[in-house]
Amino acid sequence: MARAKKESKILMNILHEAQEKHGYLSEHMLKQISIDHDIPIARLYGVVKFYTMFHTEPQGKYVIEICGSPSCVLADGTALEKFLESELQVKIGGTTQDQMFSLYKTSCIGCCDEAPALLLNGEAHTKLTVERLRALLNRLKEAHAEKKKHQKK
Amino acid sequence: MLRKRNTRRSEGMQILRQTNMEALEKARTLGSDEVLTLLEKKGLEGRGGAAYPTAKKWRNSRDTPADERFIVCNADEGEPGTFKDKLIIRHNAETMIEGMLIAAYVVGAKKCFIYLRGEYEYLRPRLQEQVDSVLAKAKMDGVEIEIVRGAGAYVCGEATALLQSIQGFRGTSMYKPPNPTTCGLWGKPTVINNVETLTCVAQAVLFDDWNPSLRLLSLSGNIKNPGVYEFPLGVKMSTVIDVARPEKKLKAMSFGCFGGIMPVDENMAITPEAICMEQCQHGAYSIIFMDETVNVVDISYSIAKFYTYESCGKCTPCREGTIRILNLLKKIRNGKGVKKDLQTLQELATHIQETALCGLGQSCGNHVLTSIKHFPQDYDYYLKKGAKT
Repeated sequence: MARAKKESKILMNILHEAQEKHGYLSEHMLKQISIDHDIPIARLYGVVKFYTMFHTEPQGKYVIEICGSPSCVLADGTALEKFLESELQVKIGGTTQDQMFSLYKTSCIGCCDEAPALLLNGEAHTKLTVERLRALLNRLKEAHAEKKKHQKK
Repeated sequence: MLRKRNTRRSEGMQILRQTNMEALEKARTLGSDEVLTLLEKKGLEGRGGAAYPTAKKWRNSRDTPADERFIVCNADEGEPGTFKDKLIIRHNAETMIEGMLIAAYVVGAKKCFIYLRGEYEYLRPRLQEQVDSVLAKAKMDGVEIEIVRGAGAYVCGEATALLQSIQGFRGTSMYKPPNPTTCGLWGKPTVINNVETLTCVAQAVLFDDWNPSLRLLSLSGNIKNPGVYEFPLGVKMSTVIDVARPEKKLKAMSFGCFGGIMPVDENMAITPEAICMEQCQHGAYSIIFMDETVNVVDISYSIAKFYTYESCGKCTPCREGTIRILNLLKKIRNGKGVKKDLQTLQELATHIQETALCGLGQSCGNHVLTSIKHFPQDYDYYLKKGAKT
């Protein structure tokens, strides 16, 4: 049953895997992919810039994607958006100065039955309220601070 | 008969019946032609929205001369308000994969792709395990299944854009013809079926009592019991509302983003024809309910934002038109609209519908046209608000 994992020839998968290594697709990486797979660099940039989930700039440790679907709007998802923007002091599409959070808005994450929802590093967090979101952010910040303290020791 | 379950209590639904590799075995015993006849007899239609007969699609692809063929499972379920494919991938992926292998057997394809939307990345590790295990059990010589990871483009749910994306290009729609069925991936015949369709394939092949009229409805919005439910076509709206349990009186329902917004009529039977009568499209039967406290213009505005964001930018009517629609709705919501803006909106939406390249563009004005037709009072509210100040 165990089969050797073959390397994918599908560009989408190649780009995802490259991005997972460093959190974003740097110019150097794209050049390497361009050479390895014989794809003109201009076409590669065209592809990368087309898909919202590919990034050519360094991203925060935590990437938050808020769902903007009508179901989430009806469940007061816009309040979460405003809260995140003010709490993190960053606009949609931006990354916080401490490189902790990147904030994006996405069309729909398919959690309409548990709205409002967002993706945090690809994991769905659902049935959110401002309070629950505040608690979640605090947990992340604490965990980060703890880790830093540990590293200093 | 009503079968209802939401994502957490999902037993008892037809779509979740497992075929345990028996469907594939039966298909191989029957042979390619017999399977096609069986699917035709059972009346299986595509569940992605277009309701194209599955057997016909497969036959077209099989009978096109080529040295290579492909099967693609469209798991790029991006339509806001739709989450039925997620339920299937979570709870019955093996049956879906078996459906793909039946397609591969009938059509004569060796390579299959599952295009999984980027937002469902958390479902991928388990799906990969299931793909490996089903492939190992199937023992089909040389047949491969690869998961292609989407990256957040809604338009890739459209067949031609999806193929572009798999081939490593920007996910923009292409002109049809040629149809992907005869000239798809790398110019070869390619069958593209939705997750629900492929699951139904395996079930229709195996089960004698498989019911073709059951549809999955994704219900969400201002209701207490959102979730995926299974209802027979023609079910009364009142039955659906009983299950959905709204807290307040329901006013409107939107069929995803693309299907349009219409009033909730308890006596309506849910059929494609009845929905079409209200100038709406059923699509994947995702219904977003809005209660009486909601102004439909606000929802229309959020849908317009969605389209502006998701337009692939290839054809001008859609690229520019979606922005104009958004700006006009913004103007109206800010109380700066005049009566003539509604007329402009309608003209604009109709024009885009007639001239856009793909399904996304052709449907991006539906919400405007239907909301102006069915809820003029909501627009009046904003127009009058503007007139006062």
